[in-house]
Amino acid sequence: MTQHIGNVARETSAIVAKPAVTIHGLKKSFDGRQVLGGIDLDVPAARIVSIIGQSGGGKTTLMRCVNLLEQPDDGVIEVNGETICARGAVTCKDLAKLRQRVGMVFQRFNLFPHLTAVENVVLAQMHAAGIGEREAVERAVRLLQRVGLGHRATAYPERMSGGEQQRVAIARALALGPTVLLFDEPTSALDPESTGEVLRVMRELARDGMTMILVTHELPFAREVSDWVVFIDGGKIIEQGAATDVLDRPREARTRAYVAKYAASG
Amino acid sequence: MSLLHTFTGFLQVPWSDYASNIGWGLLRTLAYTIASFVGAAALGLVLALMRLNRLRLVRLPAALYTEIFKNVPLLAIIFVTYFGLPSVGVKLSVFVAGVLSLIFFYAAYLSEIFRAAIGGIHSGQNEAAQALGLGRGTTFGHVVLPQALRLALPGTNTMFVDLLKSTSLLVTISAAELMTQAQLIASETFRALEVYLVIAAIYFAVCYPVSQCLLWLERTIHAGVPLSIGRRRRLKLAKTLLAGGA
Ligand SMILES: Nc1ncnc2c1ncn2[C@@H]1O[C@H](COP(=O)(O)OP(=O)(O)OP(=O)(O)O)[C@@H](O)[C@H]1O
Ligand SMILES: [Mg+2]
Repeated sequence: MTQHIGNVARETSAIVAKPAVTIHGLKKSFDGRQVLGGIDLDVPAARIVSIIGQSGGGKTTLMRCVNLLEQPDDGVIEVNGETICARGAVTCKDLAKLRQRVGMVFQRFNLFPHLTAVENVVLAQMHAAGIGEREAVERAVRLLQRVGLGHRATAYPERMSGGEQQRVAIARALALGPTVLLFDEPTSALDPESTGEVLRVMRELARDGMTMILVTHELPFAREVSDWVVFIDGGKIIEQGAATDVLDRPREARTRAYVAKYAASG
Repeated sequence: MSLLHTFTGFLQVPWSDYASNIGWGLLRTLAYTIASFVGAAALGLVLALMRLNRLRLVRLPAALYTEIFKNVPLLAIIFVTYFGLPSVGVKLSVFVAGVLSLIFFYAAYLSEIFRAAIGGIHSGQNEAAQALGLGRGTTFGHVVLPQALRLALPGTNTMFVDLLKSTSLLVTISAAELMTQAQLIASETFRALEVYLVIAAIYFAVCYPVSQCLLWLERTIHAGVPLSIGRRRRLKLAKTLLAGGA
């Protein structure tokens, strides 16, 4: 695990000053019920922003708007300077391209169970990014080795531990060369040991300069890796700031209550 | 005594004279089976997809179709198609009428199996595929369908063997398949018991290995053995790369 994960650092250093993701006035309702009530958030390139908050606060919905798995009702989102949606309309011309630039890792891994680990990493390379078979397999093997799973490359997901599956899922997202990675509670379905494995991989990604948006309840980890922490409740940003400020010296009562609860349980 | 009688009866049927009849009959049975199964699987898949559509207008006709054809005897469908349709100007050959009847009937059952299989795929699979930038068609072809086929395999295999046996109903429209040949031979030799026993044994000799093969296929796929050449090639490449310390 001493090697770097991909050439993320080199790719992202060129755009380091620019924000990777800009969200302005983002609103989203489901069946007339507002879930996001005007979110403003900048995610600078090569930075890690953690989103924390109670269940149902809209964290997942916010993430899913960034790769347009969910279409916002209002607001503007820019990814690497391109406006992908504005005022309820999708302006992104190539959704497949967007999703290659914005990778996503799910809470429940969502690996393809009928394919082995390496094939999971190959599939979208060949069928979404148009990469040739040989190159795709080579890259998949390399990425699996770098998340410490070279020896499991030809195993099926059902034969793997949760931690291994999540690392395959990370390799699968990395294979498309994303500039931003979204993690939605990547460790909350895992036991402590598996959590450790996954966090180690994410720590390396952070070191390599990958831009990441992370929803998590792992407050110690959030404090360790994030540059910025955002506390969301009821679809609004209640408080945001440097990780140590928000987590150690929260200003808002709601943030304090949340932090106290998870510090006690974790 | 009567057993002995049956045995000597077998010898009194001039089998060698009828070998080619039986051979051709068997071939026709297989032709009916394969043509009908391919058609029924295709129509069944279309019906299943229609029933999983968001629009009621698309779902409704498919549901109606399935309910009708599941609740009507196959023989009635055969008679309507072959004897009934000519009176409204649709005159079909025996083969076409037979195949169409079997397709109409079995598509209804297969659509139920396929619908349950496709509906049984976790929504997270679609999400993951979408998040990787895979298009709708690719997602269906490479993510949903392969998993659905695995789920549908046991039920589909049962239907395949059932369809093979049901081709014998086509004797009623003289389809020249195995059962029609049997009827012919029995009426010429007056040895109904022996002839039909032999024909039943032939059906068994075909159906049993087929269902065993399909079971083997199920087990092989379940064990994770890749069947497609592309998958084998990619896995082999991955293993070479891993072994070479690349
Ligand atoms: N597709 C949907 N249809 C209807 N309501 C939805 C949908 N997705 C989310 N919601 C609702 O939106 C609200 C916010 O959901 P979201 O999943 O974003 O919360 P969350 O902060 O991620 O919560 P958790 O910590 O439990 O994951 C919830 O009340 C949820 O029920
Ligand atoms: Mg969530």
